[in-house]
Amino acid sequence: MEIRLGSVLLAAALLSGCGWFHRGEKPRNEVVADAPEANPTIIEPQVNRREVKTPKIKAKDIELGAYFGALSIQDFGVNPVYGVRAAYHVTEDVFFEGFVGRSKAGTTSLEDVFPDITVVSNAGRHFTYYDLDLGYNVLPGEIFLGRGRAFNSQLYVTVGVGDVKFAEQDHFGLNFGVGERLLITDWLALHLDVRDHIFETDLTGRTKNVDNIEATIGLTTFF
Amino acid sequence: MRRLFALRSIALVLLLQTLAPGATRASDKLLEVVVSQPFLEMHSGPGRGYPVVYVVERDDTVTVLFSRTDWYKVRAPQGQEGWARREDLALTHLASGEPAPIPPYPEFPTHRWEVGAGYGVYNRQNLVTAYADFGLTTSIDAEFVLQQALGTLDNRYIGSIGLRHTILPEWKWFSPTIGIGTAYQHIKDIAPPAPLQANNQMAYVSVGARGFITRRFMWRADWRHYVVFNNLNVYEDLEEWKFGLAVFF
Repeated sequence: MEIRLGSVLLAAALLSGCGWFHRGEKPRNEVVADAPEANPTIIEPQVNRREVKTPKIKAKDIELGAYFGALSIQDFGVNPVYGVRAAYHVTEDVFFEGFVGRSKAGTTSLEDVFPDITVVSNAGRHFTYYDLDLGYNVLPGEIFLGRGRAFNSQLYVTVGVGDVKFAEQDHFGLNFGVGERLLITDWLALHLDVRDHIFETDLTGRTKNVDNIEATIGLTTFF
Repeated sequence: MRRLFALRSIALVLLLQTLAPGATRASDKLLEVVVSQPFLEMHSGPGRGYPVVYVVERDDTVTVLFSRTDWYKVRAPQGQEGWARREDLALTHLASGEPAPIPPYPEFPTHRWEVGAGYGVYNRQNLVTAYADFGLTTSIDAEFVLQQALGTLDNRYIGSIGLRHTILPEWKWFSPTIGIGTAYQHIKDIAPPAPLQANNQMAYVSVGARGFITRRFMWRADWRHYVVFNNLNVYEDLEEWKFGLAVFF
């Protein structure tokens, strides 16, 4: 009986001793939970707020380009002409357009027959104009090239006012035109134009309205 | 020979690529909208007469590439491209559920900018005129005008800056205006007698009208009375009237 009590006490002493040895260590399988602290810290996320930007739609209503062709200067023969053009499309029908062009006149028949006669000085042979026009797309449509290709096109008319500088004089000019815009791509267009620049002059002795008709081909891009 | 041809074709491709302002870069973010209406029609061109070539169904997403006047070039989910009408595209919405950001037309009575050109008569000479106008308030505008008057005796270049009051801006089709401002004129002589003074400062008062035509298109008419300041102690005045068409933003 005594032996049994003694062994129990010994075992208890051993177990408590083992416990004493392990007191510094944490129990192996114990889940570590954060103890409720006196001052709980709120974690601020160090991430910038993402701004959701809605992409903007680009408007491509402006058309810029250049052209060249032939200008028939009344009484002065047919001569090469070149220029630049800029248009703003207001609606699918209406557009504003500006032109600046330049050519150089040849000689009149009178000067050809009588070489001593000079109607216009050499410097005055420059024919320079600008026009501010209103345009209307009369016949929009498509042009087919072969079986598998179609290009959008518009037949348009323009009317406008401007200045024609010829024989070293500025003249008020009216202009009327008809043209075809053929869209090779959405941003590149081919233009075929016929336009008449009308102004009043007394260069050949009597005051009259002269018609100066030009036929041009041009390329424009949309921005 | 073959190598030369290959080099040339590479050069051509590079040139075409640099010349392609319309080509969108992959990095460009494009607007994507979801079709809310039963279907969205895509036309072959930016105009009412062009045929419908493709139809996008409800809840499909279309990419908006760019706009031209009242038409928007769009790309369907399967890659087909076509032109959608502004009113149709305005019915779509964003993936977040918000309505699509299709800008409405500027309101005519409260528009800010105006750019226009026209024809007139200045001192019995033909007049070519171009102007820009900035709305300070709904009824008061600052206007900047450049003009060329072409006559048989002389040519005149006139620049002016002034203020204009639209008396009833809420009247859409016809609204009277009055104005006041200062101008500068340069006279280029054609036929004798030469002008006594080639450059003049001037002041003007004006009476006019403006009106709405359609979309962002408007007309404007103006009569002006100029007083020319000169150093000759002679009172000189000029008259001008003009009619112009303009775009407003």
